[in-house]
Amino acid sequence: MPDECSANETKTLIPLDYMASKMRIVSITDETVDTKTFRLEFCDPLKGEQFIFRAGQFGLYSVFGAGEATFCIASSPTEKGYIECSVKRTGKVTNELHQCNEGDIIGFRGPYGNWFPIDQMQGKNLLFVAGGIGLAPLNSLIRNCLDLRDQFNDISILYGARSVDDLVYKERLEAWQQMEDVQTLYTVDPGGETPQWKGEVGFVPTVLTNMKPEPDNTSVVLCGPPIMIKYVLVSLVELGFSPESAYTTLENRMKCGVGKCGRCNVGSLYVCKDGPVFRCSDLEALPKEF
Amino acid sequence: MNSAKVDEQTLYQAATGWLKSAVDILLGAGVEVIAPIETDPGVVELAAVNSSEAVALDYVNARLPLKRLLFPVTEVLLEYEKQSDGDVDVKSEPAASPKDVVVIGARPCDVAALEALDKVFHWDYDDVHYSGRREGTTLITFACTKPGPQCFCTSVGGSPHNSAQSDVLVFLEDDGRALLQVCSDKGAKFVDQLGDVAKPAPAGSKLPAPPEVKARFEPEKVKQWLDESFEDDFWADVSLKCLGCGACSYLCPTCHCFDIVDEANWHSGQRRRNWDCCSHPMFTKHASGHNPRPDQASRCRQRVMHKFKYFPERFGQIACVGCGRCTRACCVGQNLVSILTDIETRAKGGANCDA
Repeated sequence: MPDECSANETKTLIPLDYMASKMRIVSITDETVDTKTFRLEFCDPLKGEQFIFRAGQFGLYSVFGAGEATFCIASSPTEKGYIECSVKRTGKVTNELHQCNEGDIIGFRGPYGNWFPIDQMQGKNLLFVAGGIGLAPLNSLIRNCLDLRDQFNDISILYGARSVDDLVYKERLEAWQQMEDVQTLYTVDPGGETPQWKGEVGFVPTVLTNMKPEPDNTSVVLCGPPIMIKYVLVSLVELGFSPESAYTTLENRMKCGVGKCGRCNVGSLYVCKDGPVFRCSDLEALPKEF
Repeated sequence: MNSAKVDEQTLYQAATGWLKSAVDILLGAGVEVIAPIETDPGVVELAAVNSSEAVALDYVNARLPLKRLLFPVTEVLLEYEKQSDGDVDVKSEPAASPKDVVVIGARPCDVAALEALDKVFHWDYDDVHYSGRREGTTLITFACTKPGPQCFCTSVGGSPHNSAQSDVLVFLEDDGRALLQVCSDKGAKFVDQLGDVAKPAPAGSKLPAPPEVKARFEPEKVKQWLDESFEDDFWADVSLKCLGCGACSYLCPTCHCFDIVDEANWHSGQRRRNWDCCSHPMFTKHASGHNPRPDQASRCRQRVMHKFKYFPERFGQIACVGCGRCTRACCVGQNLVSILTDIETRAKGGANCDA
């Protein structure tokens, strides 16, 4: 865990009654056949003004009657007045969320957890590596860093999905590609390409190896399916990166979000409190329960 | 909530009939009194009483742990009602009102277990539902006189006379009198309410010797082995007979895992918190289908590791008070003490026994 951004440092107890704040869905974007991005605004304008978070933090979103589910905040802290979350339809709450329309009201509590150590990334090259819906937490950080572009050196984004249809944030991918001071590399797994596809074809770790990013003075942030993370780390080490320079975000199941319900622990650490952002080198010391 | 040293200042002698007086005085003052009562032959539970007559004095321990009074099996967190205009009316459940409750007759292990729960519920975020009840509760604990065959409090830092977290520790005497050891301000207030019924104990008054509870293992040795043995065939062996029913967790005075679910009617409903348990397969299952603890072996390991390794690392204490309920209740005869003594044997480099 990057202790410099631990959520544990709070000195005074924060009263918690598990109350959800009401948020209105202001827009819905279809990302893929089973993934939607919701833009949300607090119904209480005062809450909207007071709400602050850091890239990497998460919240518990709820459809009243269906229950709560945990998602990262996918928009950037630099964007005020709303938050976004990207939701893949996989279960009860996500199904209900996908049934929602613009204007509907859902519940939210958060932000919880720690965040990406953006302050320590200043002056460095940034390499973002994401797979599938794993781009959601990185989306927040990438947008945050791009809004503060002059604080960082080179920015590179490597993003892959199973197929062209599975790529999320297509408009943003396009926009990032157009930026002159951002290097982008998008790939789909072999067989997932279309005749119009102009990006790479190949698995993310392989594409990363061929990309040959420069390890010196570079912070890496990666998120994706566990199998991708595993092999991306192998590629990074082969390229000369140290696991200390790489961060990822874990997503164990959780109910309370604040270290009480007892289910997201990995050893004596709680993903909700000591994470979700972890330094990759710290993960190596943990029992493999994530 | 402080445990205090035994000295004459804090020791009171209560006269015969003190329990009746205490219950009557408290009820008269509008305080809810919880005490052990025999609900079925041989089964004692902590429950609200209207008089002292039903209070059970001669029992090993209540079937369900004290924790359920502060952290109920199920409780409402919020209520919602969908309006016809699309809005949703959401009402927070008011934090447990600071209603005064006095629990007379819980056992020292159950009361000491609240130290672990306090740490969890007051960690960084203060769980107002738990805290409200905790603050309003006074704990008049009965020292153990006849520990059960499954009890092992002395192995985990407790004792039949442990006063940790108690407000008053009561030593019942055969003639109906009792020695009251005051351990906190709340305890002092309780004794004060008793008036003439409780008087400072005469100088030189002695507490009875605690009944013997044999120490069965050393938790430090157990942790030593746990530190090295995340991957070990032992866990598969231990888990073979476990059905994953969760009785051990539900009856455990320190287990605190919970689920949060919505219970919906047509337009309205409640969000509730319910007890949950790490032995259940769905407990950690991700939406993707991935399960970090995919088999009973990893779940049994989690239970033991959490109590004797993770919790000590995180909160500086073992999450077990040796009440023996898990062993008493297990329908397949799983025995935590056997597991732990087996682990200790392994820690010493010894051979396997029959866990």
